[in-house]
Amino acid sequence: MYKLLLCWRYLKTRYLALACIISVMLGVATLIVVNSVMNGFSKKLQTLLHNVVSDVAIEAHSPNGFYAPLDKIAMIRKDPYLNERIEAMAVTLDSFAMLQFYHRGSQETVTRPVRVMGIEMKSRSAVGGFKNYLQLQSADAEPTFVVPSDIKAKFAAVDKEWHDFHQFQFEQEIQRLRRLEEQEKKGDLVAPPPQRLDFEAGISPEMREFFSKLRKDRPAPPLAPPPAPAPFKAREPIGAIVGHLVANFKTRDEDNNVTDRAAMRHGDGIRLTTITIGQNMTPVYDDFVAIDFFKSGMSEYDANCIFIPLDQLQRLREMDNRATNILVKLKNQSEADDIVKAMAILFKGEPLIVNTWQEKQGPLLRAIEIEKNILNILLFMIVGVAGFGILAIFSMIVSEKTRDIGILKALGASSAGVMQIFLSYGLLLGIVGSLFGTILGVTITLNINTIELAIAAITGQRIFDGSVYYFTEIPTELQPMAIVYMNLGAVGIAVVFSIIPAFRAAMLHPVQALRYD
Amino acid sequence: MHGTTPLLTAINLRKTYVKYANRIEVLRGLDIDVAEGEFLSVIGNSGSGKSTMLHLLGTLDTPDDGCIHLEGRRIDNLPARDRDALRNRTFGFIFQFYHLLPEMNVLENVLAPAMITHSVWSWWRNKKELRKHAAEMLDKVGLGHRLTHQPRELSGGEMQRAAIARALINRPRVLLADEPTGNLDLANGHHIMKLLRDLNQFENLTIVMVTHNLDLVHETDRMVRIIDGRMDGQELSQPPALAAAV
Repeated sequence: MYKLLLCWRYLKTRYLALACIISVMLGVATLIVVNSVMNGFSKKLQTLLHNVVSDVAIEAHSPNGFYAPLDKIAMIRKDPYLNERIEAMAVTLDSFAMLQFYHRGSQETVTRPVRVMGIEMKSRSAVGGFKNYLQLQSADAEPTFVVPSDIKAKFAAVDKEWHDFHQFQFEQEIQRLRRLEEQEKKGDLVAPPPQRLDFEAGISPEMREFFSKLRKDRPAPPLAPPPAPAPFKAREPIGAIVGHLVANFKTRDEDNNVTDRAAMRHGDGIRLTTITIGQNMTPVYDDFVAIDFFKSGMSEYDANCIFIPLDQLQRLREMDNRATNILVKLKNQSEADDIVKAMAILFKGEPLIVNTWQEKQGPLLRAIEIEKNILNILLFMIVGVAGFGILAIFSMIVSEKTRDIGILKALGASSAGVMQIFLSYGLLLGIVGSLFGTILGVTITLNINTIELAIAAITGQRIFDGSVYYFTEIPTELQPMAIVYMNLGAVGIAVVFSIIPAFRAAMLHPVQALRYD
Repeated sequence: MHGTTPLLTAINLRKTYVKYANRIEVLRGLDIDVAEGEFLSVIGNSGSGKSTMLHLLGTLDTPDDGCIHLEGRRIDNLPARDRDALRNRTFGFIFQFYHLLPEMNVLENVLAPAMITHSVWSWWRNKKELRKHAAEMLDKVGLGHRLTHQPRELSGGEMQRAAIARALINRPRVLLADEPTGNLDLANGHHIMKLLRDLNQFENLTIVMVTHNLDLVHETDRMVRIIDGRMDGQELSQPPALAAAV
């Protein structure tokens, strides 16, 4: 009983202990805040990646894809084990292409490589959170590639204008020809003198005569009319969803803030040039209309991807009934590994690879995890430093309390009992420090965006620039078990570092301790 | 009155302190018997080994040679755990400088030995009873009104009385007092002596008191002198109180 009472009193009366508590508190709070922010970023990234790539992906070994993707889906659906665990599947075709569009800012045509993804909108929306990242259609029940009627009308008007211009040119040419025919009939048409050819210089007069006769004998070419333009029929423009960073460029404004400047707007026309498959790769191109923009927050996708209808890409690349991926959404994500194994058996021998989304993004996720672990180790050293503080302060307290230790031993306290006083004291400091550290850390984490704004208001410098990260707020995620482990670690360190002073106290000879000044 | 069989016996006690090259032979074969219920005073010059003897008798320290018996049972070579228990329940200590724990109030200081005796569970079960007992002890030494005061708020005499109450809380068999009045004025010294005399007479408490003050020895049953780490062979005087009683 005396151990508890004394360590509680030591905690209340020794202000040096406050330094230990504060150091443990700051260590734990820092660990919680940094860990929560790292978790938040990691979780956000994982969510983004997961939504973009689906739970499981079946990919072709070759960029030429695989044949009959719908048959493969039917095969999967025929398997009762897989069928009851799969919620939705989507066929996609990935390809590289060159994009050309008219840059509104520089007023010139921009050409850049992009990754074109042919998707079937309905099935793709059912797999993952693709729909949520569409800037214009995210609220729609079913996003489409259909070009809005006003844009269609605009394109039709432009087409009509071109058609009318060609028609006009055609008619002008016809009229010119008619005039020539009439002049010829009247004999007004004076044939131009035969031109002397350069190669005739220096040749013999016989040969010159021969060429001259040849020219006179050749009949004049008939006055053929140019081909008539086809009757006007407005083109059906094809919609495309363009990555946010393909359509926008990052610039800095007068205040040095990074902002997006639109290079392409809704309804602008784009041209995609790709190649057909096979040995004789032929460049092919088609025109599309930017009907929406894709902003996932993943620059890898936002800065490179353009989504177009699957059938259009198949047609363009002459890849009828071929695809490169089947994206699979599961009813229960935790079964992903088992599903992958089952699919690998199902498609054994075929040039396909089946991966979970984590495996597909493995290096990136592992890098984040490693970064988080290293950061945790480094931050835990802060608590380690607090441990050395505890060691120093406890040693001072033991010296200060030497006589009291002698009194306790004279009253019958055992060495183990004395040791327990200081170990309990260390434990109590660790618990109190960790408790306050947890409260502080959780409070900061929950209000980190408000705090960030307050600091920005004071310093005039944003710590977290949303335009750089694509998050409007700093993402955080508090993991209760991680907080428990951090607390246990901090308390453990406090106890471990109090062992040496506690042992020293326990080993004090009672008589020497009583005589200590 | 004290009985004839010794309660506490020390035979040929030797104790030497060594620091670097210096050897200080404090006790050189000291013998002493303390009878049950006896109030024994020990006098001697500074450095003669009085306090060392008291520490050895109270198992605060172990002799280099010789032995100590309590009711015929050797106690100097007991394991540390048993010696701790003896100090907690059989011996009570009073020091010249009171040695109250500054983190505890008067009542808690008195309860400290009881806290050491009891586990947390046992303490909470008997807390009320123990507190009542401690309050009674303090009342007996005249500090019933100072229960919640901190040691620093007490006078020297009050602190020593609190120390006496603390020494008595576990109802010890022997009270070992190391110059209990050495730091007090005359009036307070007499007050403390009267308190010890009463405890000895009315509660049959065996007391071994080390003192410099020859005036006080007349209030004890018997006085022995230590000279150079040995007991002076002769009892200097028959205590007056004892003589009167005989």
